[in-house]
Amino acid sequence: MSIKKKKIALVVGAGSVKCAAALGLWKVLEKENIHLDMIVGCSGGSLYATAMAMGFSLQECIDKTKKLWNRSITQQRNWRALASILLPGVFKFNNHFSMMSDVPMLRSFKSVFGDKTFADTKTPLYIMATDFETGESIAQCEGPLVDALRASVAIPYIWSAWPHSGRLLIDGAASNPLPVDVPIREGVDIILAMGFQSPLPSRIKSVSRYAFYINSLMTNNLLNANFAFHNAVHHAEIISIVPEFDRPIRLFDTHQIPYVIEQGEKAMLEQLPYIKRLLES
Amino acid sequence: MKTEVRHEINRTIVEVHGSLDALTAPELANTLVNQIAEGHVNLVVDLIGVEFMSSAGLRTLLGAVKESRSHGGDLRIASTNPGIDKVLKMSGFHNIAKVFPSQAEAASSFGS
Amino acid sequence: MNNRLSIVIGSGGVLCAAALGLSKVLRREGLTPGLAVGCSGGSIYAATIALGMDPDEAQRLTLNLFTGDVFEGYSSNLKSALSGETRFTETSSLIDDSVMYERLKSVFAERTFEDTIFPLHIVATDFYTGERVVISSGKILDAIRASIAIPLIFSPWKIGDQMLVDGAVCDPLPIDVAIQQGSDVIAAVGFEMPTRKRMNSYTAMTTHFNSIYMNNILKSTFAFYNAVHHAEIIPILPSFEKPVGTFDTQQIPYIIEQGEKAAEEHIPYIKQLLLATK
Repeated sequence: MSIKKKKIALVVGAGSVKCAAALGLWKVLEKENIHLDMIVGCSGGSLYATAMAMGFSLQECIDKTKKLWNRSITQQRNWRALASILLPGVFKFNNHFSMMSDVPMLRSFKSVFGDKTFADTKTPLYIMATDFETGESIAQCEGPLVDALRASVAIPYIWSAWPHSGRLLIDGAASNPLPVDVPIREGVDIILAMGFQSPLPSRIKSVSRYAFYINSLMTNNLLNANFAFHNAVHHAEIISIVPEFDRPIRLFDTHQIPYVIEQGEKAMLEQLPYIKRLLES
Repeated sequence: MKTEVRHEINRTIVEVHGSLDALTAPELANTLVNQIAEGHVNLVVDLIGVEFMSSAGLRTLLGAVKESRSHGGDLRIASTNPGIDKVLKMSGFHNIAKVFPSQAEAASSFGS
Repeated sequence: MNNRLSIVIGSGGVLCAAALGLSKVLRREGLTPGLAVGCSGGSIYAATIALGMDPDEAQRLTLNLFTGDVFEGYSSNLKSALSGETRFTETSSLIDDSVMYERLKSVFAERTFEDTIFPLHIVATDFYTGERVVISSGKILDAIRASIAIPLIFSPWKIGDQMLVDGAVCDPLPIDVAIQQGSDVIAAVGFEMPTRKRMNSYTAMTTHFNSIYMNNILKSTFAFYNAVHHAEIIPILPSFEKPVGTFDTQQIPYIIEQGEKAAEEHIPYIKQLLLATK
């Protein structure tokens, strides 16, 4: 019987700034000289997944990801689209509806990743998206990184769907918020899974808030259902790395990143002894 | 339900015919477990002759996928029947295992 | 009555009437299920079947449930809600849901879960936590009203201390409720929500996104139930040659016919399973 080296992957699920906890996890991996065979990112998680897959140092990752995801990417509203809600005949409502313009976001992404493609990554990377028409989960692994990221963070209603390879793509979280199935399909033995529940908006005062609220409920249910299934069918070990936060971490709270990273590191250190035993077994 | 087993250089092809349900699945489970125990850990299961597949049948396939992977191999499905493929899609099989539209493609995915 | 056999009817609007076709076939073969589970639109038919209603009677009664006037006021309410004219909170709805309530009342009146000929369970979602809630007692009308509370369109429904919405938000085809109740042969009637290619309005987009999420939850829960339980789940999947709208009550006779056809295919195997020793 051949003794095969165990394969290990990291999956960073949807969770915007909380996903920075993955950098804390990565800090531990670097220190222990554990090399990942695959990194998978979904939604906000894909920004951090990509930075790590590119092989940036921890400090570079922190600096670059702060540039990628901050308040400035929501500074421009898409007025025409907003008008089309009330007057769909006059301002043509269509599949490209969005409340925010994606121009500031694309500018941020390009400033960090330029024209780099998946082929430029040091670790194999998958960035998740969802097919806007069919709802199926799409694992992107080719082409320009900025394209894939733009698709993955296309949160319904907020940013428009992104055309790519003949499909219209949206937020990966609409089909697969914690895409553990990608490494399962590739036969990876040890899967480090960092996933987050969507926070529920507190007060519902408008139709769009309501729609958003229901979306969050469903994203969480989808996360749980998927995770239950994937756990049941995986042949080896899926280890959940769950950072604890003693304060709310809101959508663009980039000032909390050092704290988030610290909590990610702590959560990873707790699981480290078991992970090492698994790798050596 | 009958199975036909054929060994190729680095993989084993198992062709399944008939109904794969609670009454027939244990037999397939035996066949697959035996193959893996004998060291044939790269398996292609061809569902070309399967007319009906129930949850019991799916569980047998899933069990064998896990078993083959924990022995360093893999189980890949060749599925040409649209009715059976629908069942595979509904039960999430396409997400967690490799499914190919033909036996040849499934077989060559193991490399030569 | 065979305690091992159960019927689970998931969400799907009028498509759920296909379960009446399944019920007709089971009756003909002398097979009475041990329990029925319903979610969303499916709860209406699970209830009629569990109450022992004749399928033709159930067909007649439910024909009126989703007629156009049920949805009156939708466009103007949506406009004023979107423009901020009217406040929209968790107890709001885009239509006057009292019309739907009266229709349901005319079918189910004061009947309770205790009136059923075999156990009935109806699934809804807790609005504040997103968790599944299984209703097995009290007034059937209340349970159905909660289970079909489509987000935005119908307001959530309070039962006891809980605010409940559409069961499809957490579990569109709740097979494991039947499994937990001891069934190991499950005839499951479930549907994916229709999705669209072109969005020409905000509503179209909202409905589309809701469908995508619900369909993905359906697939994942179905995959999970299939993979981990020993029960034999038999999906009854009627095929429709022409597209049938979710609220197109006129198509109910056609839907029932297709449900019968789909069920008939599986009867020999179901009988084999029920006869086989455990």
